[in-house]
Amino acid sequence: MDRSELDVTAELALMDLTDDERARLEPAVAQLLEYFSVMDRIDVSSLEPTTHALQEGNRLRADVPVAAASGASPRASGASPLADDILEQAPELEDRFIAIPNVL
Amino acid sequence: MNASPESSWQSVLAAADRYAAAIGERDADLNAFLELDPGRRPADPAGSGPLRGMPFAVKDNIAVRGFRLTCGSRMLAGHVSPYDATVVARLVAAGAVPVGKTNLDEFGMGSSTDNSAGGPTNNPWDMERVAGGSSGGSAAAVAAGLVPLAIGTDTGGSVRQPAAFCGVYGLKPTYGSLSRYGLVAYASSLEVAGLLSYDLDLIRAAYGAACGEDTMDQTSVGIPDGDRLPPAAVRRVAFLGGELGLDAPTAAGYAEARRLVESQGISVDEVELATSDYVVPAYYTIATAEASANLARFNGVRYGERPVFAENPEELVRSARGAGFGSEVKLRILLGTYVLRSGFQEQYYQRAQRIRTAIRRELAKLYETYDLLVLPAYPIVAFRHGEGELDAFQQKLADRFTLMANLAALPALSIPAGVHDGLPVGVQAMGPMFSEERLLSFAELFAKDLPPQRPPRYASALADELASRGEEGGRA
Repeated sequence: MDRSELDVTAELALMDLTDDERARLEPAVAQLLEYFSVMDRIDVSSLEPTTHALQEGNRLRADVPVAAASGASPRASGASPLADDILEQAPELEDRFIAIPNVL
Repeated sequence: MNASPESSWQSVLAAADRYAAAIGERDADLNAFLELDPGRRPADPAGSGPLRGMPFAVKDNIAVRGFRLTCGSRMLAGHVSPYDATVVARLVAAGAVPVGKTNLDEFGMGSSTDNSAGGPTNNPWDMERVAGGSSGGSAAAVAAGLVPLAIGTDTGGSVRQPAAFCGVYGLKPTYGSLSRYGLVAYASSLEVAGLLSYDLDLIRAAYGAACGEDTMDQTSVGIPDGDRLPPAAVRRVAFLGGELGLDAPTAAGYAEARRLVESQGISVDEVELATSDYVVPAYYTIATAEASANLARFNGVRYGERPVFAENPEELVRSARGAGFGSEVKLRILLGTYVLRSGFQEQYYQRAQRIRTAIRRELAKLYETYDLLVLPAYPIVAFRHGEGELDAFQQKLADRFTLMANLAALPALSIPAGVHDGLPVGVQAMGPMFSEERLLSFAELFAKDLPPQRPPRYASALADELASRGEEGGRA
């Protein structure tokens, strides 16, 4: 992995890196990828991949609203208290909309 | 015993202010807690049984309504959870009381709790040393006697390794047996909530109260009847052999554990695992791939860290993530993104998943012959803060004994195995799926001859009140 590969990967991950971070992370990522090549030594051709820790079918329920588990008391508005509590965590609200920073 | 632990716990909580002050004072130099408020959530009066009135601490990547949920990250500084994780809700329903949130490596990524935006946690046995990670705050809080029980999460050893470093029991249950609803996801196919305590009965009671199927978690499972084997059923135990690369105290504790098991008349064989060289690379490939997907949700839009302005929406996200995540988290997101890039998937991620199958098969085969596998929890005792003794890469290699249980979804228990040169040593027992009771009973064999010890900084006056049952080693 070289610096340009690191930058492409950071771009795919939508994550800014400072020059200092790029200098530290490039060898650290390269060291781990190099180490991962140990996996080439084992023949895996006869093995199915494990994609889930436990194989269980989908767990379905009836498509009807269920009151969210929240300790908050119901609002006069009738809105789910959990939904309101979640909205309260947004950095900035306009009514029940989340306001994001100005993007120009 | 004069008073039942229930009544002493309730007397402690009745004086929540005094309890908070006592813990807060003890924690000033440990930094086990990121947030502490024993009075915030009064005990559920409907709760009954052994957990009634019991204070417990919760790792700060698990949701507790009304408490912050920062995951040790700048990204979530100040974020307050509007709901309880199922594990928390079930302990609360049993009468237990969440008193605070414990420190961790950011998003559970690390082996030291040095990688936290809340600063490092110190080991109560030696303040120069780490408490382990990523559930270091939970382990230190229990070891120091601040709470009788704490919840952590274990994605690759994050309950068992800090338990070993701090000299307490640490149970990583079977994947899916404790709901992941309310755990901030890092590597969904590997992680599970776990329990830390000096008291096996408390772990047993808390696990019993919290386990089982949860409609909020697709991957949760009910526990099949009939797997609860009595201790006498442990007849054949495998000890991991070969070149283990242990430091002297850990090797001594491991050898002592083996002598102790043999002295109980249990048959012991030494085994080696053919897949052992592939455990660490397969784990870090899968864990980082899952992390890169799970942490994509932190984009600074709906909550958390974000810039005051941006040129365009993408820049808003890039900037929020650049400023919000610490170095180890960025490393794992980059790695995970890389191994999932088109053209590399077969080479890394899919190969790792196939190796995961090989590891699971080898362990399943082992349990056809043996009731349990015993192995070290970590190759060395608690190391000093910083990367002087073990750098970040070496810390990952040192996870080699704990990762198997996560890759194979198996339960494992870290058991205190003596104190050497002033530092605790842990061994680990790993069993087949749903063998939690077998593991806890096995640990009771150790508790007679090699009981957990308390660090010099142990808050004994507080603990006498809080964990009298643990001190007495029996039920009230």
